[in-house]
Amino acid sequence: MQPGPSTLPAEASALTAPPSTLPPYTWALLRWSFAIGVIPPIVLVAALALKSKFLLIFIHVITGGTWTGFDLFMGVVMSRVMRSLEIPARVEVAKRLTPTTFFMMPSFAATAVTAGIFLAILDGKFDLTSPWIIAALVVVVILTAQGFGIFMPNGVRIFIELAKLTPDTGLIARLNMRNISLAGVQALLQVLIILIMAHLALD
Amino acid sequence: MNVNVAALVAVFAFAVLMLTIFGTLYRGAVRSHQRGELDFEGIRILRWGMLGQVAIYAILAVTAFLAWP
Repeated sequence: MQPGPSTLPAEASALTAPPSTLPPYTWALLRWSFAIGVIPPIVLVAALALKSKFLLIFIHVITGGTWTGFDLFMGVVMSRVMRSLEIPARVEVAKRLTPTTFFMMPSFAATAVTAGIFLAILDGKFDLTSPWIIAALVVVVILTAQGFGIFMPNGVRIFIELAKLTPDTGLIARLNMRNISLAGVQALLQVLIILIMAHLALD
Repeated sequence: MNVNVAALVAVFAFAVLMLTIFGTLYRGAVRSHQRGELDFEGIRILRWGMLGQVAIYAILAVTAFLAWP
């Protein structure tokens, strides 16, 4: 069949620029994630600039609570939901979940920890010889190592795989499941750090 | 200006760590693109992803200059 004149430009452009394999909603979700993720560090800067302990406690509690709540939800609820889904459905969830959480979760985690350190200094509790402070720092280091060493690289690898001309859907599903399972481990560590915080608050 | 040196060093260390991990993944992605396996959109999204993370940590780094009390 001879192509009609109206189909020629589209075919020519398809030859020069292959269509993107990234789903069209990826950029919108990523922009949303950044728009939300940029708020906590700005509020923290405002709290310190205004010397507002109220705002400092607020941002520490809201980011820490959201971070813990999200990890508990992922580890306790989403891990079970995902296991019950077929691989193509898991990939569809990963395609949307990865860009949505890409900026938000590291921002909540980093802001919660930074605000917590400022709060401990302000309350005169940041004593590096205190076993409770050492315990809190150990948990924070483990959480940070998991975040930087596993969560973020897995997210980036999912993006790379999605943009491939022939994405390995099995790999995308595995990486996403690894992140969701790890969220459960993070949730347990966060429950532990909340216990430590509760003790420090009574000190 | 009251600078919290420990906070500044911590933010800098995290930034170096993050950029090292991102850089390694980015190099792998560029090689995949050169082999024709990866769409350029993949490279573009990685660049924006890295820029966004750096922006968030740059804002957090400002807190080191707002040490209080």
